[in-house]
Amino acid sequence: MSFDAELDAKGLNCPLPILRAKKAIGELSSGQVLKIIATDPGSVKDFEAFCKQTGNELLSSSEADGAFEFMIKKS
Amino acid sequence: MQDASPTKRLSAEERRTSIIEVAKHLFARSGFHGVSIDEIVKEVGVSPAILYRHFKSKDELYESVLHEFSCTRESYVETVVAEDIGFEQVLRGMTTVFVNSIINQPDLLKMEMHSQLEGNTASQEFFLNRWKSFTDYIEYNLSELINHEKIKPMNVEAASLIYQGMIREVLLLKCLRPTDRLTDMPIDEIVDEIINLFLKIITPA
Repeated sequence: MSFDAELDAKGLNCPLPILRAKKAIGELSSGQVLKIIATDPGSVKDFEAFCKQTGNELLSSSEADGAFEFMIKKS
Repeated sequence: MQDASPTKRLSAEERRTSIIEVAKHLFARSGFHGVSIDEIVKEVGVSPAILYRHFKSKDELYESVLHEFSCTRESYVETVVAEDIGFEQVLRGMTTVFVNSIINQPDLLKMEMHSQLEGNTASQEFFLNRWKSFTDYIEYNLSELINHEKIKPMNVEAASLIYQGMIREVLLLKCLRPTDRLTDMPIDEIVDEIINLFLKIITPA
């Protein structure tokens, strides 16, 4: 899946990945995609809640090698 | 055959939950090492065989209790997605969420205290992680503020440690061992006051 910006939030605990994602999405245009890599297991629920509240679209949420990857499309 | 007492029969899931609930209180009271499986089954009112059907060992039961806490983990998402809020508002919001989570489940704080003494690495990591949300947030944001010359340079790790220490002490005072200190002040007022003092330290006039 292609993306327009990437955010490395490895090693950070909630809410920092969310805060930094909010900032990164703010710099994108509508329809662009942000890829986020995080290691906090709580980030799965948090990014779901984040997208629900902000109206951005969570395209995918996956896990590999202890890291979580999220693709979020700006609304 | 008809069940003699159908209302008393719990489903496997309900039984599991009831064991976790009882274990939570016992671990909070006496720590991991201070509680035996015998005590837990006696308190739940089941045989050891039934407990072992749900949990292979005391370790697994303890982990399940921690897991249960982490499922009801406080969420900071709502606090941080609100429009245009700065360091102070987020810090106040996060602190309120965290403090309320302990007020609602003082067992969590008690288990943390026991875990500190017992030196169980897995559980220590679990509890450290809960505080890490704060310390990460404070360290990251203070560093940003220093980079933008909004505040004077300081050791941000020491600053986050100060904050953690203050909040922990308030929780201990109000949730675990009430004393005659600050009895007239409800917990939210003390926390507010402490945040005011913290902000004065990091942003001197």
